[in-house]
Amino acid sequence: MQANKPENFYQNVKDALAQPDLKMIIRRTTDKAEAKRAEAIANFPGFENARKQGQKVKDHTIKYMDHYLAEFEKNALAQGTIIHWASTAEEASKIVLDICRQHEAKKVTRSKSMLGEEIGLSHALDNSGIERVETDLAEHIIQLAGDPPSHIVWPAMHRSREDVIKLFREYHKDPTYSEEIIDLVRSARRDLRTKFLTADIGISGSNFLLADSGSSCTVTNEGNAELTITPPKVHIVTAGIEKLVPSMAHAIPLLRLLTRSATGSEITQYITFHNGAKRPNDADGPEECHMVLVDNGRTKMLADGMEEMLRCIRCGACMNHCVVYKHIGGHAYGSVYPGPMGSVLTPHLNSLEVANKQTHACTLNGRCEEVCPVNIPLPKLLRSLRAQSWDKKYEPLTNRFVVKAFAALAKRPMLFQWVSSCGVIFMKLCSRKGWIRSMPLAGGWTRNRDLIEPESKTFMQQYKAMKKAKSDGA
Amino acid sequence: MNKQRNEISRERIFDAIRAAAPTVTADVKAIQAEAADILRESEFARPDLLADDAADALVQRIEAGLVIGTSCEQIATMDALPNAVDQFLAKYALPKALQVQRIERLQKLNWGSLSTEVDIKNDNTVGLCWAEYGIAETGTFVVHSGPDMPILLNYLPLYLIAVVPRSKILPYMDDYALIANEIAQRGETPRNMCLISGVSGTTDIEGVLIQGAHGPEVLHMIIVEDQ
Repeated sequence: MQANKPENFYQNVKDALAQPDLKMIIRRTTDKAEAKRAEAIANFPGFENARKQGQKVKDHTIKYMDHYLAEFEKNALAQGTIIHWASTAEEASKIVLDICRQHEAKKVTRSKSMLGEEIGLSHALDNSGIERVETDLAEHIIQLAGDPPSHIVWPAMHRSREDVIKLFREYHKDPTYSEEIIDLVRSARRDLRTKFLTADIGISGSNFLLADSGSSCTVTNEGNAELTITPPKVHIVTAGIEKLVPSMAHAIPLLRLLTRSATGSEITQYITFHNGAKRPNDADGPEECHMVLVDNGRTKMLADGMEEMLRCIRCGACMNHCVVYKHIGGHAYGSVYPGPMGSVLTPHLNSLEVANKQTHACTLNGRCEEVCPVNIPLPKLLRSLRAQSWDKKYEPLTNRFVVKAFAALAKRPMLFQWVSSCGVIFMKLCSRKGWIRSMPLAGGWTRNRDLIEPESKTFMQQYKAMKKAKSDGA
Repeated sequence: MNKQRNEISRERIFDAIRAAAPTVTADVKAIQAEAADILRESEFARPDLLADDAADALVQRIEAGLVIGTSCEQIATMDALPNAVDQFLAKYALPKALQVQRIERLQKLNWGSLSTEVDIKNDNTVGLCWAEYGIAETGTFVVHSGPDMPILLNYLPLYLIAVVPRSKILPYMDDYALIANEIAQRGETPRNMCLISGVSGTTDIEGVLIQGAHGPEVLHMIIVEDQ
C-alpha cells in the first residue's frame, strides 16, 4: 500500500470511507482499548492526581529543556554512549545510515519507534540495500504488507486475520497452515528468532530519556526491544528531544499513565533502562551505543507556543476515543501520527500549508482532551492551528467565501433568521422519510452518510412561538 | 561521524530552545528543588497495594491473575529450589533440563537429576534467573545485566523461572527508582535494568492476547524466604 500524502486528505478520506470493512476492523481494536482504559482508570482512584503529576513532570522538563538536554548529554557520554544531534528528519536518517555503513551492516533489526517512522528510517534503510527486520509483530505484519502504520500503538490494526494468514504463508520460511491466531504468532516467532540473533545492528526508539543518568527507556509488551538491542554489536537509539525527564523517579508516574491510557494495562510487561554499551566482562550486550537526538520541528513548537503538545507520551488514547479516527482510520491522515495528536503534530513536522485540512477533521467534542493522560488541550491547539491556517490564507476559496458569508449573516439577525427559515424549507423539500440522501451544496456531508431532516421551524421560530405561548398562558 | 556537522546541529537545537524560552533560569539548585517537589506528590498518585506487606501484595497480585502468564510459589530456603523447579517442569511436561544463571548461589545447589546447562537459544526451553528485586505494585521482578547475568536468559526461553528474595520485594516502582539512584551514586549502574512484569504478549492480531510472542509464554516466580 502506497503511503497517503497529507495534502490529499479529502481524497484519502473518500478512499477510506469506501472500504467496506475498515470501520469495523478499526472499531474492533479501538472500542476494546476504550473499554479497557476505562476499567483500568476505575481501578486507580489516584488517576487524576497521577495525571496532574505527569503533566507537571513534562511541563517542568520542557521549561528547563536546555538544562536537562545538556545534563542528559553529559551523563550519556559518561556511560560511553556516542551522541549525535539532528535538526531535521533527513539529517537523523542520514546519521543512522552512516553508522550502519561504517559497520558494514547487512542486516538491522528494529523495535517499534514512531520517531523512526517520522524520520523516514524504514525507507532510507530499504533504499540503502540494508536488510531491515521489523521485530514488533504489528510492524512485522505491515512490513510484509508494505503498509505504513495506521495507529501509533497498533500499527497493523487495519489488517485482518485473513490478511495476516496470507502474508505469513507468502513470506515466512516455515509458515503455519492453521488459521488460529496463536499459530500465526508462533509462525512470526519462528521467523524472527534467527533474525534477532544474527543482526549486525539493533535500532530502537526510546519512551523516556533520563537526564540524571543518560539512560534511555524502552517499553514493550512483546520483549522485542531487548531482543533487538542485546545480540548485535551496535545499538542505535533514535529519540525526540521531548522524551526527556529529569530522572527515573520522574519517569515512573508517566509509566503509570502510559500503559493504562494506551492498552488499559496497569503496566507493560517489559520496561528496560539502557545505559550505554556493554560493560567489560558483561555476559552479553552491544559493544557500541549511539544516540541520535532529534529536533525535527520540536523547537519550532516551543517557539510557536505549542509546547503543551510536547507533553505527549504517545499512548494513542486520543485516537482510540476520536469519532473521526474511528471512521477513517489512520492512513487517511497521510502522516505517521494520525488522529487528534497527529493533526497537531503533523503541521509542525511537515507544514501547516500541507496539513491544514486535518485540523478541521475534528468535531471539537473534547474527548481527546478528557482522556489525554497529560492533559494536552488538543481542541484548543487545533483551533489555534485553524486560526493560523485562516490567517495564512491556506483555506480553499470556497471555504473562505462560506465562512465570510456566514459571518456577514450572523451580524444581521433578521437576515440570518430569514435565510435560516428558507434553508429549512429547502431541506424539507430534499428529504424523504426523515432523511436527506443528497442535497445541492451538501455533497461533502451526504456522500457517505444521510443527513437527518430538520425540524419544521428554525430554532428562533420555535423559541418565539414558545415565548408567545407562555405570555398568552400568563 | 562528521563532528563539525554534529556540533552545528547541537548548537542550532540549543539556540532554538533558548530563543523560545528566554526567561529560563540558570540556577541548577532551583531546578532540582522544583523537580523534587513534583515527586512529593507521588504518595497520592499511585495505586493501592493489595496487602500491607510488599511480598504479600506481590503474591496476591499474581494469584489474582493480574500479571499476565505468571504463577508464583513461596519456598522457605534455597535448598527447596531444585524440587520446586522439578515440579514446575513436571507440571508442563517439560524435559528435566534448563539453563540456570551462572551465579554461585544457584550453581552450588544440588540439582539432582536436572540438567542445568541447556542452550536457551533453542525454543521451547526453560531459563532460571536470580532477580535483584521484586516490585509489589506491578508484580515485577528486576534483573540487572552483568558478567553473571546474560540479559537474553530472560527473553529467549519459552518458560522462565525467576527466583526473588522475599527481603528484596519493594512496595512501589518509586522505591526501585531510589535504589537505582543509589547504585548510580556508587558508579555501579549496569548496562541494563530490566523490569519484567509478566510474559511476552501481543494483541496485534484482532486485539486477541497471545502469550509467548517473542519471549516467555509462561513465567513462574519463586519467592525465597531466607535471602
